[in-house]
Amino acid sequence: MMASAVAGLVERLESSAHLNATLAWSHAALEGEAANVRSVGAGPLSSMPIAVKDNIVTTTLPTTCASRILEGYVSPYEATVVTRLRAAGALIACKANLDEFAMGSSTEHSAYGRVHHPLDPDLVPGGSSGGSAALVAADVVPAALGSETGGSVRQPAAFCGIVGIKPTYGRVSRHGLVSFGSSLDCVSPFGRTVDDAARVLEVISGHDPRDVTTHALPPLDASEHLHRLDGITIGLPAEYFPDDLDPGIRAACELGVARLREQGATIRRVSLPHTGAAVPAYYIVNPAEAAANLARYDGVRYGTRQIGDAGDLRALYRATRGRGFGPEVRRRILVGTFALSAGYTDRYYARAQAARRCIIDDFTSVFADGVDLLFTPTTPTTAFRAGEKLADPVQMYLADVFVCPASLAGVPAMSLPLGRSGGLPVGGQLIGPSLGEARMIAVARLLESVLDATAEVR
Amino acid sequence: MKIGTGDVRHIATLAELEISEAELPSLAADMERIVTFVEQLPDIPVGDRTSVTVGPSALRLREDVVDPVPLARPPEANAPAWRDGFFVVPALDGLGEDE
Repeated sequence: MMASAVAGLVERLESSAHLNATLAWSHAALEGEAANVRSVGAGPLSSMPIAVKDNIVTTTLPTTCASRILEGYVSPYEATVVTRLRAAGALIACKANLDEFAMGSSTEHSAYGRVHHPLDPDLVPGGSSGGSAALVAADVVPAALGSETGGSVRQPAAFCGIVGIKPTYGRVSRHGLVSFGSSLDCVSPFGRTVDDAARVLEVISGHDPRDVTTHALPPLDASEHLHRLDGITIGLPAEYFPDDLDPGIRAACELGVARLREQGATIRRVSLPHTGAAVPAYYIVNPAEAAANLARYDGVRYGTRQIGDAGDLRALYRATRGRGFGPEVRRRILVGTFALSAGYTDRYYARAQAARRCIIDDFTSVFADGVDLLFTPTTPTTAFRAGEKLADPVQMYLADVFVCPASLAGVPAMSLPLGRSGGLPVGGQLIGPSLGEARMIAVARLLESVLDATAEVR
Repeated sequence: MKIGTGDVRHIATLAELEISEAELPSLAADMERIVTFVEQLPDIPVGDRTSVTVGPSALRLREDVVDPVPLARPPEANAPAWRDGFFVVPALDGLGEDE
């Protein structure tokens, strides 16, 4: 049985090659995975093939972060989440393409070429976890691991018509997730269904002594099934429904709200007044943390090396980094270095931290005021055309306007498909209070059961 | 805020990034666009709001025992240059002998 399951997976990986969604897989590695599945026996994810974003380290396949600077790198250790997947009987199917070092919202910033949207090759799948999302949407794998720093799983989940869950910061170990924005990074699963994504999240969650920022909690139990939503209050934050919101997105969200109400939920209009500060604050905090984290790529201990013209050590650092990093990574390192440089820290970084504090307080007070969950659009538009936002980095950043705030606040949030507009998937976002994944997932499961995700809205 | 090619050259030096002269104008334009955008941040009184905590409020230390991560391959497997147990690098300019 296992041999035919692996053969089927190989066939799907080969026939989806036009998506450019994978960066590495091999017959030999899959044979090893199959042997592991047999030795584990019955596990919660027995025989489930899972794609892993290529910024999560594995010892059996290379990890490049879609960057030339890590070409050929094979990790000496394995991420905690990968160890937990294997222990649960899952099979690591492949490493998935991404925006270089997870910096981007379209998976166009990969050094190994862009990922194509499964429904239309001229469109982007979203990003930065676009390879993982495309592989799930194209039915190559039922589930995948992505990572979120500022919406990099929810946004591609919405674009591709699948489910993506960002857990509470600290719910899942970051050990072996290549560091980008350390106060924001979360390993986050994709699934074709709420159940598939939730089962993967249960397996990878829980305290890890190798990551001091994980909560001292056992693995998540997301098995709650709700039959009705009576007694549950869903907040609709005004800031996420601006007057100029795309009409198809608005219609899909109105349908989602109608379904929630029919199931007995109380709908309440609320305000998160600092929402507008989220993207500007994010694009200070994130580059600042990125500039610090990416200082480790210096051409000395691993990765590719370029000898600079001067031939000395600093020339080696500069040439390795200047030639090894792509355009978006260099921009973020420059902006982050600038925001942390003498004379500018108060003007940029301190103000961004103050804005982040206010965004956290917005969420805390709305949840303390009797709102159980928030419901919003995941993205301001459906999947956009490749190249459309490449010339202007700020337009690309604004694709994350509805997903950034939950990342800054560290609260759980997820996207699930609501229906289609113009033939393209529209995602709805549920946001919960810190450590409130179980209830959020239960509501999503019920909402999913009363929606037709592939039907055109209106 | 105006950002010129000289600013980018200076920041690139701080960040240890080689940037060619030809790339400086477009990078300066990108940075100016990004910095102008993030300056839209509202003027929130910073006060005591500089401390942001996400995740557990108290970070706990591990037991003080040696617990090495078992390595699947040794450091030299990924080293660009390695000799006698050391990573090999070019000399700092003006220090030591030529490598």
